[in-house]
Amino acid sequence: MLEVQHLTKVYPDGTVALRDVSFTVPDGEFLVIIGLSGSGKSTLLRCINRLVEPTEGTVLLDGADVTLAQSQELRRIRRKIGMIFQHFNLVKRSSVMANVLAGRLGYVNPLGSLAHRFPPEDRKRAIATLERFGIADQARKRADELSGGQQQRVGIARALMQEPTLMLADEPVASLDPVLAHTILGYLERINRESKITVLCSLHYLDLVQRYATSVIGLREGKIVYRGSSKDIKEMTDQQFKEIYGEEAERVSAGPTIRGDE
Amino acid sequence: MSPKTEQRKERRSLVPPPVALGMSVIVPGMGQILAGEIQRGLLLIGSFASIIGLSVWRFVLLANGVTGALPIYLKSFSRRPELVIILTLLMVALYVWNFLDAWKQAKKKKRGGAGIFVVIIALFFALGWQISQIDVYKAVTKFPEALQPLSRVLWPWKAAITYRTKELTATAPILVGDVGTAPPAPVKQEGKPYLISEPTRGHLSTLDSQNEVVPGTLLHLRGSGFRPDTETQIWWIDPLGNRFRPRQGGKYTSVMTDANGEFTFDLTMPYRLMPPSAVGPQLHKVEAEQSQRVGGPIASEPLRVTIERMIETIIMGMMATLFGIILSIPVSFLAARNLMSGSWITMAIYFITRTIMNIVRSIEPLIWALIAVVWVGLGPFAGIVALTLHSVAALGKLYSEAIEGIDPGPIEAIQATGATKLQTIVHAVVPQMIPPFVSFSIYRWDINVRMSTVIGLVGGGGVGFILVQYIRLLDYRAAGIAVWFIALTVSILDYVSAQIRARFV
Repeated sequence: MLEVQHLTKVYPDGTVALRDVSFTVPDGEFLVIIGLSGSGKSTLLRCINRLVEPTEGTVLLDGADVTLAQSQELRRIRRKIGMIFQHFNLVKRSSVMANVLAGRLGYVNPLGSLAHRFPPEDRKRAIATLERFGIADQARKRADELSGGQQQRVGIARALMQEPTLMLADEPVASLDPVLAHTILGYLERINRESKITVLCSLHYLDLVQRYATSVIGLREGKIVYRGSSKDIKEMTDQQFKEIYGEEAERVSAGPTIRGDE
Repeated sequence: MSPKTEQRKERRSLVPPPVALGMSVIVPGMGQILAGEIQRGLLLIGSFASIIGLSVWRFVLLANGVTGALPIYLKSFSRRPELVIILTLLMVALYVWNFLDAWKQAKKKKRGGAGIFVVIIALFFALGWQISQIDVYKAVTKFPEALQPLSRVLWPWKAAITYRTKELTATAPILVGDVGTAPPAPVKQEGKPYLISEPTRGHLSTLDSQNEVVPGTLLHLRGSGFRPDTETQIWWIDPLGNRFRPRQGGKYTSVMTDANGEFTFDLTMPYRLMPPSAVGPQLHKVEAEQSQRVGGPIASEPLRVTIERMIETIIMGMMATLFGIILSIPVSFLAARNLMSGSWITMAIYFITRTIMNIVRSIEPLIWALIAVVWVGLGPFAGIVALTLHSVAALGKLYSEAIEGIDPGPIEAIQATGATKLQTIVHAVVPQMIPPFVSFSIYRWDINVRMSTVIGLVGGGGVGFILVQYIRLLDYRAAGIAVWFIALTVSILDYVSAQIRARFV
């Protein structure tokens, strides 16, 4: 269970990104965060694993206080929180395998990892994870030789290597076309259902939100302006969606049914 | 530019067109200034002043000592009529155009017009042609003079090989002067070459008061025991042991042996300046020498020296690159804006580092080598110092730009996995840095080897050092060998570095 209490973030230049945000995510949820660009979605996700240091407030993950954790404790918490990014954030010139193995950095012997040495079982696990996403044959390629959809799968594989209980996804499909968007979100949905990993995901498109979310929060200027269940959001019209979400919102044509493993 | 254009529209001429014209007749450009076209007017005044200044300078030089304006002009005309005609016509055209332009500028309707500046540029080029002493006629007619050195430089391989030789010699003593007893003829030994002179005493050639040569005694030389049908050189050895080859009829003395290995040769005793202190009988020697090739061809000295110096050159480049890389890494961190933007102190360090780097980089390695030669003395080390200095500045800039170009995304992603700071650097920062670092370092090595071939010209060691020596000795073949090796090394290096970089980037 993830509890976020009175979270506020003020950047050094005075920008207030989050204002007193509180919400609770029970285990196994697929929580979608919606809101305009600049409404604080990315900051919120990054405050949960403290890539961004919150100014005020508390984040509790399974009872442990993330906001108070010191360096070693923080790393132990972080390794239980997977994260995927809009621009995938792979090390482009490293191999796919190296990128996936990086997900184990929180677990392995620090000295060995500096020489890029990983235990054999981690390598096996990496291959198995890549196989799960149908890209095991790309393992030796450089990450930037892969297509966008493949790169995001590598990103998910890296996050899964952490054996996370929580997955943060910062606009994971914003740089992908609608078909690939469904594929990637399909993977997240499977992770969510089969591995019981809680997912926090920011999205832009109402169709996708309606299709995947089990609950939704809407952010506007750093404040929560909407909370809804999956049922609420399915009954939402475009007009309502635009009111919370702003004029940027667009409905994409419904994608094809989700393909399984390719 | 756009605000200026708008200002120009509002500008009014201070004087009517005829006055502007008149002012420009007196002082070229003045009319334009009064017409409100200040920049144009100043440009015209400046151009006129420099053209007149340059013309006076060149005309006085051409006239060479003549005084007075008209005599100088006429003398110049007689020496370079075509130049003087072109310059005069252009200047008159420019002057007339100048005051017509003043009229036009003062009329508000239409301004500008770049035609007058075309004339000014033409004048500068005409003067420049004379100042830089361009002589197309000479370049064409004297071209054959360049053919010999050029062909030797282009195909120097005749000088690349040489042979060991074995000398076969025999000497005969000659007494110079009227005192002393004539030396006996050498004893003939079977199987060894033998030389006998008839007579064995005589007088050297001398110079009379009119510097005319008074021929010395004619020596009748007979040789035997030499190899048959072989060129035999006749040498003269004075009492000090100095060996030289006399000339007769403008040719070095030499003779062919007959089928029995014998020859006869008539030698006029050569001119030899002896010190006034040398009194009494002097025993000179005449020597016959055959040289014979022994064994196969071997590398000549220029070839061997060139190869040695080429190796030295490549190593100079490598050393300078190594030192450059080592020193530029810390410098590059100080010169990376994203790392130094923390406080005003770090920003000050950033600006100081950048400024020093820009200054060091803008000074050519050749000039650094001149300084380094004074600093550490002639030789390859001076070259290494010069190239290192330049490399640090150049690589520091390139590396710092690579650091500035790092993608923060992967760093964030690796941090999110629970990695330590050190792990983040190793797994997210270093992989991004290595390709540009390798690429720039190889590129720099390439540049450094190329530069070290010329850095020897100013005493920095390497192949350039001997190249300039060969050129000064007019040994075009040896110079050609050095040029060939430089060209070969540089092109191989070019290819190799391109291949390596293609793999990393």
